[in-house]
Amino acid sequence: MDTVTGASSLVRALEDAGCEVIFGIPGGAILPAYDPLLDSMKIRHVLVRHEQGAGHAASGYAQATGRVGVCVATSGPGATNLVTPLADAYMDSVPIVAITGQVSRSVIGTDAFQEADIRSISLPITKHAFQVTDPADIPAVIAEAFALAAGGRPGPVLVDIPKDVLAATTTYTPAPPVRNPRVTPAANEIRRAANLIASSRRPVFYIGGGVVRAGAAAELRTLAERTGIPVVTTLMARGAFPDSHRQHLGMPGMHGTVPAVAALQQADLLIALGTRFDDRVTGVLELFAPNAAVIHADIDPAEISKNRKADVPIVGDCKDVLVSLNAAVRRAPVLTSWWAYLDGLRDRFPLGYDWPADGKLAPQYVIERIGTLVGPEAIYTAGVGQHQMWAAQYVGYERPGSFINSGGLGTMGFAVPAAMGAQCGVPDRAVWAIDGDGCFQMTNQELVTCALENIPIKVAIINNGNLGMVRQWQNLFYRGRYSNTGLSTHQRVPDFVALAEALGCVGLRCAEKSEVDDVIMRAMEVRDRPVVVDFVVGEDAQVWPMVAAGTGNDEIMTVRGIKPLFDEDL
Amino acid sequence: MTRHALSMVLSNVPGALARVVVLFSTRGVDVESLSLDPTERGDVSRMDVVVGLPAGRSPDQLVKQLSRLVDVKSVVAVADPARDQIGA
Ligand SMILES: Cc1ncc(C[n+]2csc(CCOP(=O)(O)OP(=O)(O)O)c2C)c(N)n1
Ligand SMILES: [Mg+2]
Repeated sequence: MDTVTGASSLVRALEDAGCEVIFGIPGGAILPAYDPLLDSMKIRHVLVRHEQGAGHAASGYAQATGRVGVCVATSGPGATNLVTPLADAYMDSVPIVAITGQVSRSVIGTDAFQEADIRSISLPITKHAFQVTDPADIPAVIAEAFALAAGGRPGPVLVDIPKDVLAATTTYTPAPPVRNPRVTPAANEIRRAANLIASSRRPVFYIGGGVVRAGAAAELRTLAERTGIPVVTTLMARGAFPDSHRQHLGMPGMHGTVPAVAALQQADLLIALGTRFDDRVTGVLELFAPNAAVIHADIDPAEISKNRKADVPIVGDCKDVLVSLNAAVRRAPVLTSWWAYLDGLRDRFPLGYDWPADGKLAPQYVIERIGTLVGPEAIYTAGVGQHQMWAAQYVGYERPGSFINSGGLGTMGFAVPAAMGAQCGVPDRAVWAIDGDGCFQMTNQELVTCALENIPIKVAIINNGNLGMVRQWQNLFYRGRYSNTGLSTHQRVPDFVALAEALGCVGLRCAEKSEVDDVIMRAMEVRDRPVVVDFVVGEDAQVWPMVAAGTGNDEIMTVRGIKPLFDEDL
Repeated sequence: MTRHALSMVLSNVPGALARVVVLFSTRGVDVESLSLDPTERGDVSRMDVVVGLPAGRSPDQLVKQLSRLVDVKSVVAVADPARDQIGA
């Protein structure tokens, strides 16, 4: 038991919790904590340029490493700037701990300077929030916050600490380790699941981000190969099963592949693991997988039967569930005609794109080449929009955690700070942010952080001159009336190359097919600075296939007006 | 709307009630009555609440969502207290 300040206690507690990097910005209320931070030998503080960047960086770090990400902000505006990343991490079940300064205890509730009730503001977007009122509690609260963030279904946890609590003299008592109870999957449900799997004719593994969070990719592969059952991976699960694997049908959902969507629709059994039947996957719920029985395993009991009633509900960590299923499944189902049907769809409806009629670069080609040249050992992040969907479709993912994006909240501006966080966690891997010209303008200031902190990420701006995804909807559903979706980025406002240089990065530009490989290779050669490549691409490219919002998955269109599952009897 | 009675035990800490009430509002749950009483233990309170759920939504789901909250120590849907439909 040592006598310390609350601030020193906080830093020690963070060290004891295994924290090695913090993303943050100081300010009045959190200032006491920054003093002992200067002396920490274990914790690196990365000074971001906006707290939103700190939050997404913590998320990128967490998703790249599997550890808890940490961000720090001061009270008031610092704390409210964390709202978006907290909501983002909540939706995508990412373990982060956000530490905010607060005004001193004596003035809480008086509208003091830079007072914001962040604990209340963050209620619906955090797993839990602590406000520390006794400095002696700091070690226990931090230990508990880390355990809560990582345990069960992961998510964000807020720790709000008043300035006078940080400044107070207290004692440091190391917190006893917090144990996260782990539920064992119920044996009878595992048995029922195994029986259903053995007798199914048209089963499919519907894999969600929970499999990535649980680190269960190897167990999934074992079960998939033993049973021969086809696999689809959602946006949050890209990489949980290798794209190159013969049994992988791709991503389901609004911009999924025809075989993946058809597999779910025609299935007689969905083996849904760590997934939540999100509307972007199911389309109109009543029309989703109409003839399928459902095995649904998730660590969060509240997700099971939330949107689709499960016939076999299994509460448990996906890894435990898969280990149990691997032991219980003795007989592989006979799937010859199922595979004949699915392979037929694969042949007839592969992912593909047309080159723009105006001779401009195809965005899909750029992303495909990045994936090929940079390879599956890298980590890719994405913003939100068309480029995100193409990044999900045209990069081949072979490893869990190699694609990090904002799935649930759909947060524009996620790519750059998430890449920064990921690169801090895995310095030896290449990290590429595949970003939109719109998204990039929301958070590119973190490139300054990257340049100064020696975080050499690469950013590929898929510059289509527009808020492309919104424009696509205007094209399809608003008679091509393009209201407020032009960005003037093709007129070079801003000039992304000049901007990149101003931010301390190498700026490159590419507008020709023949130069794509060359510019990617040049970007890969730069190791001492971040690189931004402005890929100037056609503005009319659209994301296909597409299930229009408000329709059933059977109405998937491969291009405008062509509905292969709906129009033909397959 | 269907009506359901829930009985909960909450930690007696600041913010616990707020979290429960915000969950009701986030999930579109109508709160008809709510009472919070201290228990002899002191570190927990007892909360009884009658809620209205939109048609088709089960109280089970709500119970599970409430169970996720750190400060909710227990929650059960108590047997229908002779009330079925509200409005209708
Ligand atoms: C913070 C935020 N604001 C608005 C939106 C709505 N939105 C979704 S995609 C999109 C366009 C994104 O444009 P860009 O980054 O250029 O990507 P593109 O679709 O062109 O590839 C917008 C505005 C959002 N998802 N997030
Ligand atoms: Mg764009």
